[in-house]
Amino acid sequence: MEYNVNRRDVDFILKEQMHYEKLLELPAFKDYSLEMFDMVLDQALKFAQQEVAPINASSDKEGCQFDGKNVKAPKGFKELYQKFAENGFIGSDVPTTYGGQGLPFSVVMPMSEFFSGSSVAFMMYPGLTRGAAHLIETFASEELKNIYVQKMYSGQWGGTMGLTEPQAGSSVGDIKTIAEPQADGSYKIKGGKIFISSGDHDLTENIIHLVLARIPGDPEASTKGISLFVVPKIRVNKDGTLGEPNDVRTVNIEHKMGIKGSATCTLAFGDNDNCIGYLVGNRMAGMKQMFQMMNEARLLCGMQGLSIAGAAYESALAYAKVRVQGQGKTIVEWPDVRRMLMVQKATVEGLRALLYMTAFYEDMGKYHPDAEKREYYEGFADLLTPMCKSYGSDQGFRVTELAMQTYGGYGYISEYPVEQYMRDVKISSLYEGTNGIQALDLLGRKLSLRGGQVVQQFYQMIDEFVTANQNTPVLKNELSEFKKALDSVAQTAMSFMEMTGRGDFNYPMLSATNFLNMFSGVVIGYFLMEQAVIAQKN
Amino acid sequence: MKIAVLLKQVPDTETKIRVKGDASGIESDGIKYIISPYDEFAIEEAIKTKEKSAPSEVIAVSLGPVRVVDAIRTALAMGADKGIHIDDCGLAMDSFVTAKVLANALKNENFDLIFTGKQAIDDDASQVSQMVAEFLNVPQLMLAEKFELGADKKSATIERSVGGGTKEVYTVEFPAVIGAEKGLNTPRYASLPGIMKAKTKPVTTLKASDLVGETKPKTTNVNFRLPPERAAGKVLQGEPEQLAQQLVKLLREEAKVI
Repeated sequence: MEYNVNRRDVDFILKEQMHYEKLLELPAFKDYSLEMFDMVLDQALKFAQQEVAPINASSDKEGCQFDGKNVKAPKGFKELYQKFAENGFIGSDVPTTYGGQGLPFSVVMPMSEFFSGSSVAFMMYPGLTRGAAHLIETFASEELKNIYVQKMYSGQWGGTMGLTEPQAGSSVGDIKTIAEPQADGSYKIKGGKIFISSGDHDLTENIIHLVLARIPGDPEASTKGISLFVVPKIRVNKDGTLGEPNDVRTVNIEHKMGIKGSATCTLAFGDNDNCIGYLVGNRMAGMKQMFQMMNEARLLCGMQGLSIAGAAYESALAYAKVRVQGQGKTIVEWPDVRRMLMVQKATVEGLRALLYMTAFYEDMGKYHPDAEKREYYEGFADLLTPMCKSYGSDQGFRVTELAMQTYGGYGYISEYPVEQYMRDVKISSLYEGTNGIQALDLLGRKLSLRGGQVVQQFYQMIDEFVTANQNTPVLKNELSEFKKALDSVAQTAMSFMEMTGRGDFNYPMLSATNFLNMFSGVVIGYFLMEQAVIAQKN
Repeated sequence: MKIAVLLKQVPDTETKIRVKGDASGIESDGIKYIISPYDEFAIEEAIKTKEKSAPSEVIAVSLGPVRVVDAIRTALAMGADKGIHIDDCGLAMDSFVTAKVLANALKNENFDLIFTGKQAIDDDASQVSQMVAEFLNVPQLMLAEKFELGADKKSATIERSVGGGTKEVYTVEFPAVIGAEKGLNTPRYASLPGIMKAKTKPVTTLKASDLVGETKPKTTNVNFRLPPERAAGKVLQGEPEQLAQQLVKLLREEAKVI
């Protein structure tokens, strides 16, 4: 399957909207240069197109195989995983201490777009490994870090995150997996997890599960009592060599609509009371720690929406330019096809700006030397995360629908790539917290960040943009319409806050998703308008 | 062993080429440049040879404006050790002048091996490598599909196709110029750690004006034009017999191929 991306749009956002040279002013990235960023992106795109994209269609047809004991990933994944790791891509955005590459997230975001657009199913494996390793790196003891992290970034061992149980999906607090303290400081893990991506496979010699469990006696039926554990599939000796199997059993794999190359496993821990886990960081801090990974994973879900939407649009566009129908015209010449392509283009470019700029806010929020600036940008990243996740995945799906429509009947046929894109992208609205959960997150947590100050500052930034450019001749009308939309988001937010303030949650919760969509539409409108202003100046 | 790789930066194959208004060349605006793909095979072979013959070093050499330093940096990120950028100083250049400047830059460096692509994919001239070898008075072998370093590390066995499935096998003693053909190897990517390392590797700049001497171009480009646009295909209608007749008629009378 061929993968194409509008590299000009990618560069336009990085160079003219984000001004990625600002990243070089941050001490964390002082060893980089713009030429290096460009080279990284060139190489990543080349790797995506030449190595990752060719296995996308075949892995979808083949899927994962489970023989009752072990899971086999599709043909080619093992070799690709090693190559991907050798090129340093697994830990591209994490510190160099344990083998990461220390790139800014702003550069890793487009890289991820290229990779996921080429095969989102394959990317689940390195994505989960990176997330799990980074959790250990951030929160675990030196001993655990030294044993696990480097081997995960280098591709020797894989990683997963184990949250979901049959009765505990959106309500993670209901998990039943327990961790019984042992005399030597380790824990015995017992319980079952479902929907574990990369839960078992043959890409690496070991798999490191990060499992949420409750230590008996800690608060029940609440996320407050949950702790986080490192649970290796095969035990690791003190010197880092592999020991005995660790009583982790793969029960089954799911048969799914899409991302068929990604192994989604049901795992049983401690069938024989012999599954050892190690506490990560503090007891009962599990949920808080897991949120580091979840927040990143949510942005990556939005990125998946963008990446597949981008791939689907490019594919539909290429098809429309060569498919001849009626009066000897290519279909791109017909107005209704142009309409569909324009909607796809606007959505993809808008999502791209949203995702890249959120990554930029993340970098600034993490690495800016000025604490006040860090707080300012971190707030923006937090505010936009549920929008990236939810709007990115939903609109990504809608784009694949329009891409299919552009193809006509051929789009429905598996000889052409869009039907796979459509199936593959659907999952992004479901996992990592359903999109409904994202809407509640925006409404319940994000609007009230720092007492509503974050959303106010964000509004102010956009409002200042409108004021500064309202006399731009070609955008005058658009900006005045946009201003109305912006203000109606602000008013809606205010009235929701007022309602919840007096204890009326029903209406805001009923409208949460609509509100998220409305807000996201305005945010994307802002980024696209800003692009228009920049383009007009050049 | 001291190994040089000659690199040319060329427009990406996906670039839409536009001819300048006065037909004197192509518009350089908006062009994305890449390392000529055959030169990538050369880089890979140089690095592989280095790995087999430690201690060795690979020096990436490119002639052109400042932008070609990007090509050198990519070679360094892939594993080359040093770079030499020869600034073209805006001089008029054809293959002859290019080869002369390169040869003059290389002649005192005592390279054991010089890898190049068999040709660059922009002008497809396939002249520079051979002329460089001539000016340096060393043997050259173009179209190398297989390169095997001799046990003495002072010679190599090279295979190339001569059509009809026949292979020629040569042995060559160093120093020599080797022109890489597709299939010689699979070039590695510039890995992220490689890109980080490349930053600290030295790139020396030379000036073509200091190296060109009295050499003047022997050829000039008179005119640039795009190939004529391909006309739309024809769809023939009818029964198989009529179709065959129509097709033969068209091939004979219109296409004039039979």
